[in-house]
Amino acid sequence: MMQSVLSTMVKAAAVLAVAGMLQPVSAESANPAKKWTIGMSQCNLGEPWRVQMNADVKKAAEAHPELHVIFKDAQNDTLKQRAHVEEFVAANVDLIIISPKEAQPLTPPVVAAMHAGIPVIVLDRRVVGDKYTCFIGADNKKIGQAAGRWIVQKLGGKGTIVELKGLMTSTPGQDRNSGFREGIKGSDLKVIFDVDMKWLEPNARKEMESALSRFSDISLVYAHNDPGAHGAWLAAKAAGREKNILFVGIDALPQEGQAYVKQGILTASFEYPTGGREAIENGLKILNGEKIEKEIVLPSRVFTAETVDKGGEWLK
Amino acid sequence: MKSWFRHPFARAMAALALVLLLGFIFNADGAFFKWGTHSDMYRAISVYGILACGMTMVIIIGGIDLGVGSILGLSAVLFSLLAIRQGWPPWMAIPATLMAGAVCGLAAGGLIARFRVQPFIATLAMMVFARGLAKWISGGQKISTVIQKANGDFMNVPVPAVFDQLGAKILHGNLAVVTVIFLISIMVCWIILTKLRWGRFMYAIGGNEEAARLSGIPVWAMKLLAYGLSGLFCAVAGICQAAQELQGDPEAGVSYELTAIAIVVIGGTSLAGGRGGIGLTLLGALTIGYLEKILSINAVGEAARLMLTGVIIVGAVLFQRMRK
Repeated sequence: MMQSVLSTMVKAAAVLAVAGMLQPVSAESANPAKKWTIGMSQCNLGEPWRVQMNADVKKAAEAHPELHVIFKDAQNDTLKQRAHVEEFVAANVDLIIISPKEAQPLTPPVVAAMHAGIPVIVLDRRVVGDKYTCFIGADNKKIGQAAGRWIVQKLGGKGTIVELKGLMTSTPGQDRNSGFREGIKGSDLKVIFDVDMKWLEPNARKEMESALSRFSDISLVYAHNDPGAHGAWLAAKAAGREKNILFVGIDALPQEGQAYVKQGILTASFEYPTGGREAIENGLKILNGEKIEKEIVLPSRVFTAETVDKGGEWLK
Repeated sequence: MKSWFRHPFARAMAALALVLLLGFIFNADGAFFKWGTHSDMYRAISVYGILACGMTMVIIIGGIDLGVGSILGLSAVLFSLLAIRQGWPPWMAIPATLMAGAVCGLAAGGLIARFRVQPFIATLAMMVFARGLAKWISGGQKISTVIQKANGDFMNVPVPAVFDQLGAKILHGNLAVVTVIFLISIMVCWIILTKLRWGRFMYAIGGNEEAARLSGIPVWAMKLLAYGLSGLFCAVAGICQAAQELQGDPEAGVSYELTAIAIVVIGGTSLAGGRGGIGLTLLGALTIGYLEKILSINAVGEAARLMLTGVIIVGAVLFQRMRK
């Protein structure tokens, strides 16, 4: 008898625990002392840059005690992210911040949220059409151009470049490539080796090894992200050639690019801002009924050995 | 076709020769003829090769292990946490990581051997679980020598010596330490599969599990052994990966299981179990490694690279199958 009561209790507890895990966090369960609830839908926390984005949102929101932010990670699954937005609408949050995985499939839930009267801030990647409150993002092409011009100046307009591309089937990869090529146009810089490394450090190292065995003279490596530049540096170091080559990366996360610059591994890292802080600042304005710009292009910074401790230098 | 060609080893050699021939033709201005190119390739393929060692035994016993990439990631993160963040000496951090990898393999093996869960399902579950665990213990961030302090600033700690030692090259920079570890892994598997009774048991189970059981072979124990060893090799690979990257990346090893399986299969070990060997896996690793290297030194674009890899793998396998 006792045993069966116990086992029933255990089972009930287990069911409750499971139900608790499965239940979407609703606005009702939020702290009632908070005035506003913000739903933050992240497409993939598998990328450090996106982890940083969430960290930036969290940090900015903590400065405002009236805000409560609910984070959801779609784990790189479009349909999951769609469901997350719909859950936010069902929970009647006050504002939605979404960094969408892809434009087309995530446009309808954003439109539905707008119809439900919930303002939506779209971060980094776009949705189709203009049914959103505000878009905040950086311009990969401009950052690529800036990197190109900076490299031209650094090398005195002459030299050989290895370009380790993110992924040429992705927009950031295409923009960081085409922007860079525009930036170095008219100079005597020659790209002697360019390949995809799929944003991954081990791949970048392999590709760089190939470049090193093919070319005895490499002035600079331009990698589409900092882990790529770091992987290239590791390859050059193993070949004893890291001192003769400069390494430039993009993203400038504090624990990656900026740290590599501080360690003297990278010559420069160009920031690709997450917009997390700006999303919260503009979100507050929206919630307070202020008017804001519909399109906000984030400025970017370059971090070099001289400027990294001073918070980088803003790009014009 | 001569009779020697029927031997699987000769056929695997033929596939390798085919790929090498491509290298001779598309030698990228002679880059293919430099020893450095080859040594780099041996380094690059080593981590995959170590995974393929465990995979060979699992496939011979008639199973499959989809969890290897994730256990590699988990091991890389765990090793970095212990060695960099906790400051454990290598003689503690390495065994602890190896044990964690073996436990993961044994857990999947236990599900398969004791609860009759299909290998595909059990190791798929392990693939998802170990990846989640890697992300959880790392907080989703790479475990590097850059550490965030309580006030949000970042500080840099020195890289533990063991990372440099494992990531280094020996013999005047001509051979990577990880390649040596790969070759040792091959040797260990070779001894298990050809010199020990366990090896005969594994082939027997893969050939006909019921017959093996009836002849008194401890089937479940051998399955535990195979998956446990596979987990152990994943941990070895994870440590090598972390040492080379100077960090533990929770995303490390994504889709590596496919490369490991490709290495085993292209060598000529049968996915149906019971046939194959570790020497074939070594040849398979060289074939895949050279293929990647040749595409890389020629700076072939990603899309073309994927298509060519698919075509050449099929070509190599068909070439192996050719019989009179």
